[in-house]
Amino acid sequence: MKRSGETSTEGGARWPRLLGAAFLVTLLLLWQVASLAALLKPFYFPPPSRLAVAFWELTWEGFPEGVRIGTHMLVTLGRIAQGYLLAVGVAIPLGIVIGWLPILDSLTLPIITFARSVATLSLLPLVIVWFGVGELAKVLLIAYGCFWVMLTNVIAGVKYIDPLLIRAARTLDTSPIGIFIRVVLPAALPRVFAGMRIALGVGFMVIVGAEMIGTIQGLGALIMEARTFYRSDISVVGMVAIGLFGFGISAGLEQLERILLPWHRGLELVRR
Amino acid sequence: MKRLARWQDAVLGALGVLGLLIAWEAVTRSGLVNPVIFPGPAKAIAVAFARVPLRDLWEHISTSFLRILWGFGIGAGLGILTGTTSGWYRTLGALTRPVIELVRPIPPLAWIPMAIIWFGLGEPSKVFVIFLGAFFPVVTNTYKGMGGVDPILLRAAQTMGLSGPRLLLRVAIPAAMPDIATGIRVGWGLSFGVLVAAELIAAESGMGFMIMHARQSGEIGVIIFGIILIGAMNLVTDYCIGEVIRRKLGRWHAA
Repeated sequence: MKRSGETSTEGGARWPRLLGAAFLVTLLLLWQVASLAALLKPFYFPPPSRLAVAFWELTWEGFPEGVRIGTHMLVTLGRIAQGYLLAVGVAIPLGIVIGWLPILDSLTLPIITFARSVATLSLLPLVIVWFGVGELAKVLLIAYGCFWVMLTNVIAGVKYIDPLLIRAARTLDTSPIGIFIRVVLPAALPRVFAGMRIALGVGFMVIVGAEMIGTIQGLGALIMEARTFYRSDISVVGMVAIGLFGFGISAGLEQLERILLPWHRGLELVRR
Repeated sequence: MKRLARWQDAVLGALGVLGLLIAWEAVTRSGLVNPVIFPGPAKAIAVAFARVPLRDLWEHISTSFLRILWGFGIGAGLGILTGTTSGWYRTLGALTRPVIELVRPIPPLAWIPMAIIWFGLGEPSKVFVIFLGAFFPVVTNTYKGMGGVDPILLRAAQTMGLSGPRLLLRVAIPAAMPDIATGIRVGWGLSFGVLVAAELIAAESGMGFMIMHARQSGEIGVIIFGIILIGAMNLVTDYCIGEVIRRKLGRWHAA
């Protein structure tokens, strides 16, 4: 086998991709064949053909009866969006203030560190007692998970701005508000975006746990419900759906970052 | 000067925590909220110790910890193994990367039904879910670290006559260590993150079970105590791992 120590050029990156795709297709084929040959039990490892049928069923008839996959996706997306936006909306202004005032930063650091370490899903029983098993509980759980990740990133973004940048702006006689808008915010934005991306990942992780309780709508609920009806094929389709969904959205966010923050990419290239 | 600043930070931080606890206690005593549903910190801990005997508590903690150790141990071990080999051998990387990238976005908790189908309701299914939480961060960070090894290092070692597995073990893996360490810390955190949900699977002990059980019997104090306990364990163990990494890696990698 060849070593990959040598730096691969962009043009040379093609054959591994082809090889990878071929390997994936082979795996799927083997899976199908093994299942047809009764080497793998379809309940334990539903074969691709069965998954396709399950997907068809989910698209047209829905599971449970009448709840189609589009509905599940929209419900999940709605919950994540609400919790996520709530977290981001509160964390950005709060993080800027804390990051800008060192005394506030010192006061809150242990609290924030601890709150971050608290496993979001361990709040599940508490949230149920306080807010019931309805929508609010799920949205708040997602908001909690996203909030602390977001907050620490915003604080770090503001706190670790190169003082040279601020001093340079001062020498150029920029007003404090001008410094804030033209120097601090753009310099903090890359970290803020990083936080938004990580927080979204957290949201997608928490939602599955949050949807385990008190609902039959949403991809997390679909995955769990299907098991109780011994429909492992539908569980797997749900897993794939939530995986693709999360992947697509985070890829979209990355693209957005590239368009909105051209200066950051330049910086990264310079650092290399 | 620096020492003074550190002391100041510690004092201010302690003040912040104290302020929060006092505010919490004050709110519960003011009658604004129902203290049965929202007990103060003192009462929560008192209730927890009254309702959960120390021996049970110890069992919950050790059971959870053992699950995490198994899941994380297998996940991190396999993650490092897969990450280094697929980062080193190009063909292997080309084969495994797409599979890993395809499976990675699926949240660990979404595997719970399949974990039950494959492993039943016992310990292995819980360990499997925790394993997933640890495996993916470790494997992706390790792979990234292997890709980022400075080619000059490798060439320098080659001129000195190192090659094959020895080059991998003595040069490439140490050079990728900082990224591997990052993966380990993220994976450890995620192991704790999925623990509670993993323990929703027909568990009879464990900290996740303890708080879910407390919900059914309506002991909010136990829930709050459990949440803080899980958070504190995560924080303390993460700190220890961070210290070990810092001491081992600090020698050749400035933080």
